[in-house]
Amino acid sequence: MNQTPNVQLPTSNAELSAGASTSNTKRRVLSIFWRILDFVLAGTFIYAGVVKAIDPVQFASDIDNFKILPWPVSVALAFYLPWLEILCALGLLFRVLYRGALSILTASIVIFTLAITAAKVRGLDITCGCFGHASQHWSFPSHLATNLAILAALLVLGFSNRSRKPF
Amino acid sequence: MAALALLPAAGEAIYFRDKISWRSAIAPSEMVTVEQARGWGDTAIWVDARPDDEFASDHVPGAISLNEDRWNELLPPFLAVWVPGKKIVVYCSSLSCNASREVARRLRKEAQLSDVFVLEGGWEAWLKKNR
Repeated sequence: MNQTPNVQLPTSNAELSAGASTSNTKRRVLSIFWRILDFVLAGTFIYAGVVKAIDPVQFASDIDNFKILPWPVSVALAFYLPWLEILCALGLLFRVLYRGALSILTASIVIFTLAITAAKVRGLDITCGCFGHASQHWSFPSHLATNLAILAALLVLGFSNRSRKPF
Repeated sequence: MAALALLPAAGEAIYFRDKISWRSAIAPSEMVTVEQARGWGDTAIWVDARPDDEFASDHVPGAISLNEDRWNELLPPFLAVWVPGKKIVVYCSSLSCNASREVARRLRKEAQLSDVFVLEGGWEAWLKKNR
């Protein structure tokens, strides 16, 4: 009784097929966009990590300038953090331990952003050392804007549909 | 991944063991005590890294003011006075200040000078030994 006329079937299939094709194209474009974002972020963190790993003495001094941690902890972090950044960036690049890498990088950028904001509030005129010597003369708004842009990109990747689970 | 990063970090810590001290922000080879610096006599130039007002109120006799607030302005007169082979002793207010460390670092990196030392205890230590 409720049979659909046979003549309408090919049209419906074509519409379904066209819809699926549009959806596939959209998914592919998005997938390319996420991948580009992966590469941009990985490149940024590899650069940031390498410049700090090359000069750990300077980075230890930059961490110490925040006046939050004792000197030995600043030294330990100066040796450890750049390599953590580089490895996480490689994880992003090659999609190895992807979500872990994304989480660590997000946490690190949040901590750096809070630290530079706290330093500014306390009236300390410092460099966060986030990009080694290159960021030495950046103003506070430049630091903050860069960090927030990176944080936004990391969050977008974390919540993007291609990830299996949201944060 | 967090554990894996420990490996290169440990390697780097070993490689840089002579260039960084775990106890003080300044490598022991870059520190100088008041007695040592005074012993250098005329072969040393004293650099005051404190702000202008503190330098104006009092300073080590013969010291040259070179602080980060007016770095670009004060560096050329300092370089005019500096003679190759002379040791440079940088000081700031006390043991806890950073200014001397930063000025010493910039003199080494930006002005490419060697024999730059940071005075242990800064101006406070100098006052104690000279009163």
